[in-house]
Amino acid sequence: MKDRRLRRADLILIAILLAAGVLMSLGAVLLSRDGGTVVVRVDGEVVASYPLSEDREAEIAGVNGGVNRLVIRDGSARIEEASCPDRLCVGMGVIRRAGQSIICLPNRVVIEIAGSGAPETDAVSE
Amino acid sequence: MRRFLCAALAVLLLFLSAGCSGPSAKDAPAVRELFAMDTYMTLTCYGENAEEALDAAEAEIRRLDALLSTGSPDSEVSRLNRDGGGELSEDTLALVKAALAAYEDTGGAFDITVLPLMELWGFPSGALHVPSDEELAQALAVTGSGRLSLGGNILSLEPGTEIDLGGIAKGYASARLMDLFRSFGVEHAIVSLGGNVQCLGAKPDGSLWRCGIRDPEAEKADELAGILTVRDTAVITSGPYERKLTDPDTGQAYHHILDPSTGRPADTGLASVTIVSADGALADALSTACFVMGPEKAEAFWRERPETFDMILILADGSMLVTEGIAGAFSSSRSFTVIRE
Repeated sequence: MKDRRLRRADLILIAILLAAGVLMSLGAVLLSRDGGTVVVRVDGEVVASYPLSEDREAEIAGVNGGVNRLVIRDGSARIEEASCPDRLCVGMGVIRRAGQSIICLPNRVVIEIAGSGAPETDAVSE
Repeated sequence: MRRFLCAALAVLLLFLSAGCSGPSAKDAPAVRELFAMDTYMTLTCYGENAEEALDAAEAEIRRLDALLSTGSPDSEVSRLNRDGGGELSEDTLALVKAALAAYEDTGGAFDITVLPLMELWGFPSGALHVPSDEELAQALAVTGSGRLSLGGNILSLEPGTEIDLGGIAKGYASARLMDLFRSFGVEHAIVSLGGNVQCLGAKPDGSLWRCGIRDPEAEKADELAGILTVRDTAVITSGPYERKLTDPDTGQAYHHILDPSTGRPADTGLASVTIVSADGALADALSTACFVMGPEKAEAFWRERPETFDMILILADGSMLVTEGIAGAFSSSRSFTVIRE
């Protein structure tokens, strides 16, 4: 005769699967919040991309020998130092949300946060 | 009980796997990024011929840049300034005509002859020079579009007068791109030429484009004063934050929007002016002109021609004025006053 009751092993398996499911859901939620990618482009070409969640520093070689130092820390990105004369990119501060960008015109460097979330706007008039 | 748990697990797995699927690539836009006209541009286009349209758009921008750049000695504008005038090509003629019309309309608040003043202040080079009254008077003596005469396609400049179409060229270029996109069968596109935004149609899903308006007081360009929903129009903003030079000794900052009547940076209590008009070149010229005019004159100017354009004025104290034509399309976390006819 078939035993239709749950065995102890079934219960453990279900508990493990449920726990795994909850953990995965939690991970997915957390990752989607901090899951942005810092995309670096020079003169329109993607030269590097880094996860926003990992702290790092990187030297970016811009056009005409220009250099910008990118710092990613605590889920935000900024240009800490740059060889360009106006250093507007350094003054642009930190970016952390999808769609935000820092642009260095002289070195033709664009740092942009790409993410899965839809950006707030299609363009910004400034 | 067991069946119920199995079903619950299945639902959970389904939920998890659904979270992993990415957006469909079918309706993805074609995007082009380029550096031209001394600024950073992004062009976004939807549709079958989007890539071809973007190739043509990039070529068109590079062509106009080569024609109009005051920084390049080989450009048509540099030649006109060197020779005191000459024959105009089709685009330069259209731009000069639009610029002269804007000069007349705005009572001289928009003026393409401020180049000697800009050079005096050091804006093209980036090396600030705060001019003396005497130096200003000398530069003002050769300023004024009244010193230009256009006969057919021949432009004459009086001695010492120089033109710079930079205050209208990006708006003209964005309008040209819309025509170009249409000729490629593109129905949905949005471009930003250094923050000068123009869009074609609405978004592919039929909803309106969401155009952020930069908060002029914020240090960071991505802070917004509000969002305007638009279709088939240009949204062009002028503000002192775009280009500023600081005196290292006094710490005083000087911005690039010069009042053609005084030769000094316009100081009218405005922090930025956004013009909304289907005519990109007009929007570009009026954003500068209304900034120079100041809030009261700009309001009066709009009341004389409310069907031509709409505007958002952001004052130095942070208050905002929005003309009634776009008031319903503008949203902001701050309150704003609606300007009515």
